[in-house]
Amino acid sequence: MTRIVPLNREVHKSLRVDGRASAAYGDNQRFTHVIVNEFPQLVVHYPILFSKDANTGEFYCGVMLGFDEGENLFLEEWRDLQFYRPLGLQRVPFYAHGPEVAIDLDHPRVGVAEGTALFTEHGQPSRYLQRIIWAFQDLDPGIQVTRHFIARLLELKLIEPVDLEAEFDDGRIINCDGLYTVNQDTLLRLPDEAVVELFRRGYLRLIHYMIASLKQFHVLARKKNGHMLKATESLAGVRPSARG
Amino acid sequence: MKAGGLSVTLIESPDIKIIGVGEGTWPTMRSSLEKMGVSETALFRECDAAFKQGGKFAGWTTGAEDDAYYHPLMVPQGFSQVNLVPHWVREGRGLSFCDFVTPQGRLCDDGLAPKTITQGEYRALANYSYHLDAGKFAPFLARHCTDKLGVRHVLADVVQVNQRESGDIEGVLTKQAGEILGDLFIDCSGFSALLLGKTLGVGFKACSDVLFCDTALATQVPYDSPDAPMASQTISTAQAAGWTWDICLPTRRGVGYVYSSRHQSEEAARETLLGYIGPGHEDLPVRKIPIRAGHRETFWKNNCVAVGLASGFLEPLESSAIVLVELSAKLIAEQMPACREVMDIVAKRFNDTTMYRFGRIVDFLKLHYVLTKRTDTAFWRDNVDPATVPDRLRDLLTLWKYQSPWYFDELDRLEEVFPAASYQYVLYGMGFETQVAPEDTVDSAPAAARLLRENERATGEMRARLPTNRELLNKIYQYGLQPV
Repeated sequence: MTRIVPLNREVHKSLRVDGRASAAYGDNQRFTHVIVNEFPQLVVHYPILFSKDANTGEFYCGVMLGFDEGENLFLEEWRDLQFYRPLGLQRVPFYAHGPEVAIDLDHPRVGVAEGTALFTEHGQPSRYLQRIIWAFQDLDPGIQVTRHFIARLLELKLIEPVDLEAEFDDGRIINCDGLYTVNQDTLLRLPDEAVVELFRRGYLRLIHYMIASLKQFHVLARKKNGHMLKATESLAGVRPSARG
Repeated sequence: MKAGGLSVTLIESPDIKIIGVGEGTWPTMRSSLEKMGVSETALFRECDAAFKQGGKFAGWTTGAEDDAYYHPLMVPQGFSQVNLVPHWVREGRGLSFCDFVTPQGRLCDDGLAPKTITQGEYRALANYSYHLDAGKFAPFLARHCTDKLGVRHVLADVVQVNQRESGDIEGVLTKQAGEILGDLFIDCSGFSALLLGKTLGVGFKACSDVLFCDTALATQVPYDSPDAPMASQTISTAQAAGWTWDICLPTRRGVGYVYSSRHQSEEAARETLLGYIGPGHEDLPVRKIPIRAGHRETFWKNNCVAVGLASGFLEPLESSAIVLVELSAKLIAEQMPACREVMDIVAKRFNDTTMYRFGRIVDFLKLHYVLTKRTDTAFWRDNVDPATVPDRLRDLLTLWKYQSPWYFDELDRLEEVFPAASYQYVLYGMGFETQVAPEDTVDSAPAAARLLRENERATGEMRARLPTNRELLNKIYQYGLQPV
């Protein structure tokens, strides 16, 4: 259930929210929405791809975090604040409410004793809440830009399905379907005026981030192998090796 | 189409109404439309199109209450690797042949769509074609062809055809737009075959000695509520002297009765049709359409080739009319003669292929009749008279008693209208018996077992994943299908 109310410094002055990454709070996603503004931070860790909304069929941008349902291989790095965590997950349990921020009071992150206070004792937004406010300042326009970016790429027939397959040390082969990326052949054959237009709009840079990020797929597969190895070694009582 | 210096002019009479009954298509329509650059989303939104996943034939074998089988559009699992017929004969576990080899019959039973909203335009989980409103589809295509493909559309009546000494057509004189010249004339004038028949004198070969139906009564039935469930199979129900069609469009059903006037009076036929539709619809307007079963003796003569009704027509039992138009148009486009010198060579090929296609369609339609066990009316009894069965079909039926039609049967043309899979569905849907020796299934048993497991898995997954026809159409209206 959700109970979304506008955030109010009087009503919510002592409310605490646990913003840390955790599977229990819903960070256990193998694929999550992102916006184009995040691409520079994302490209160094995650494969950035297109996928389709199951309900509407419409394209969105997302990053791959794991292979199996509910598998996020980055929870540790997120907990230690080492790696960038997508805004769409950072903002939970908050929502944009016009220029204001709203909160889902029924979310398990809310009202946790070891959580972070939203307001200082002087009634000012805490650093945590301030980061959320900034996140929404990026998110709202970012969602629009992302939508335009996708629409333009579709018009130029630049989006194509991608076949991503990974083989793991346990012999399992996982085929990731329903993912799309930039069609590089079509990109190379674009007429000059389209190339200039994509460059001026800043889309060309985004396209190159997406292409470069495909390399992260293999990194991600190795990471899963490493996780599996750790799991078997701890079961067998063997000390973790340097592998992975 | 203005490619390589080619220009296309369509001359259409502003007064002659289209027949507008053709509502069923084959999956070829998907590739045809995709190739033409038509948006599938626009097709659904503007032509009242719906998904078609095959035909359901009720009452054709015995006429009993539960007598029905599917001719789905998906070929049997692993069709190119293993012939599953012998395996079904020997260990069919009481399943119908269709359910044994493909998920599609069960998808139809459940009223499920062949895809989800995340499959892009023309992509599918289960093979499909369309049911559509022909009255909307024709102008929709005309707009696309004039706006996007550079076809010139002239609304005019042809009053005179001018020929050269060689017999070639030089031009057509129109009442409203003067004379229009051309190098190649495609006769799409419908049953009248104005160019090929009337001008060039090509005769008509009737097939009414094989296929008896010669009249159709057509009507449209409203739904009780706008969200009434929709079937995605054409339902063909055997009647006293023919069969009724029942096609679900999003807005209404198209229902009609195709019958033999030699076996039933028009009045009795109307009663049969209204009896099928059920009470409360006695006042529906019913249109009568004559069907002249047969085709031209040749299809391309001189510089004129007939496509569509001008080339011939057979009863719409398997939606063969529009698929023939597509195949003919494709053949003409891909074999377009570079000059007059080579035209007769191309014409001969076209004639051979089209004659073959008409022959195979006649055979395949007759197959539905010849396998019946019904003896309740003269129509069904007359249909199994050996004198009415084409030689080729008779030979095949003899052969198929001992071996089932498969990949390497003689139905092996690159673009066979009805592939061997279609014959399998009709034969074994209607209880045809093929003898199978125990050793026939030994070598392929492991592969067959794998395919049957795959069929069960695919059936379960599709039933869990697929929305209903109505749900998916509503999503397409709201969000559209993605181009990829």
